[in-house]
Amino acid sequence: MKLAFEEQGADYLLIMREEHGNVAPAMIANGESADGVRLDIPYQLVTILENIYPWLSKGKIAIITRRCDEKALAELVKRKYVDDKRIVKIGLACSEEQIRKCRCNDPVPSTVAVGEPHAGVKDDELALALSKKSSEDRLNFWVDQYKKCNKCFGCTLNCPVCFCDDDCVLEDRTFVAEPSVPPGLSFHMIRSFHMADKCIECGECERACPAEIPILTMRKLLAKDMKAVFGFTPGDEKTVSPLNTTLEGEQLEDECDES
Amino acid sequence: MTGFSPTILAFCCNWCSYAGADLAGVSRLQMPPNVHVVRVMCSASVKPEYVLKAISQGVDGVLVLGCHIGDCHYMTGNHRTAKRMPIVQKVLEEVGIDERRLRLDWVSASEGEKFQKVVVDFVDEITKLGPNPMREVKF
Repeated sequence: MKLAFEEQGADYLLIMREEHGNVAPAMIANGESADGVRLDIPYQLVTILENIYPWLSKGKIAIITRRCDEKALAELVKRKYVDDKRIVKIGLACSEEQIRKCRCNDPVPSTVAVGEPHAGVKDDELALALSKKSSEDRLNFWVDQYKKCNKCFGCTLNCPVCFCDDDCVLEDRTFVAEPSVPPGLSFHMIRSFHMADKCIECGECERACPAEIPILTMRKLLAKDMKAVFGFTPGDEKTVSPLNTTLEGEQLEDECDES
Repeated sequence: MTGFSPTILAFCCNWCSYAGADLAGVSRLQMPPNVHVVRVMCSASVKPEYVLKAISQGVDGVLVLGCHIGDCHYMTGNHRTAKRMPIVQKVLEEVGIDERRLRLDWVSASEGEKFQKVVVDFVDEITKLGPNPMREVKF
């Protein structure tokens, strides 16, 4: 992509590339050939960025960002995981079909460099149907869904805002009592709680899930609650998550070293 | 509701609520025996994971007690709890477990009577709600 290297002065470009018939994320340095670049495969490249970022001490990194990637980057920048100045964002608008699949209501990136912007979908039908059900029916629904889980950790590994690499509580017997497969309700409830203040609704967890659990629906429901309780939407560049501030809105000091 | 006596887990902070519970005991205030008290150093050290784990394992109700806002021994500990617990309640509600099974309240070291009142109220409420549906669910 000429845009990234010549106009924006980036040193690397993070992109999806097709090689030997498989599409995978690839890091292209300035001057390397960019054969087989694919822009129609939805994947959160921010997840890859977050993993390789500590090994790249200098240079500007260009990254293809959908709207959800932008929001994920905003969450990472707020938590000081990545430096905003070293990232060049190349906006990519999602196709209509992708928007429908994610039930996304905010699909257009701040600057569209590639693709045509389409309007979002207003509501998640499953979420609406669930919120009308009685709590018993809802519990039955979710228990049936979660029974399909085989604890592959696909949802955490592919999540752009899951960044506690080695200290994930979901791998710890102290917190998730059920070591068996399926992992029981606490696994999913704990993950729901952890994602409540940072899930940017990219839908990568649902795409990654081999059991096709509607994880994204649960995230959307909680995002609605988060907005109702605190008036906070994850992905906002300015406001810090209310769970990271005191009652007066002052920032809490971090007692654990997260770097 | 014959025969159902709920199992309740109470997390009490070391500096206020546990002393409050102590005072209630020393003052010989009558309380239902369903409550299992766990002493923690601060209500903020009650990780939401513990609450969710307890409820998914079939505990009928979880009570989180801390110092009043502004009185926290660690300055802003209970500010965190006050913000976390509503979200934990929402998680429970969305999964389909009644959010009243988790209650957050403030009890200071001198409020033995309030401790008794909170416990009696909570046990009544949980008895009315019935057993935790997660007791029946087998994964």
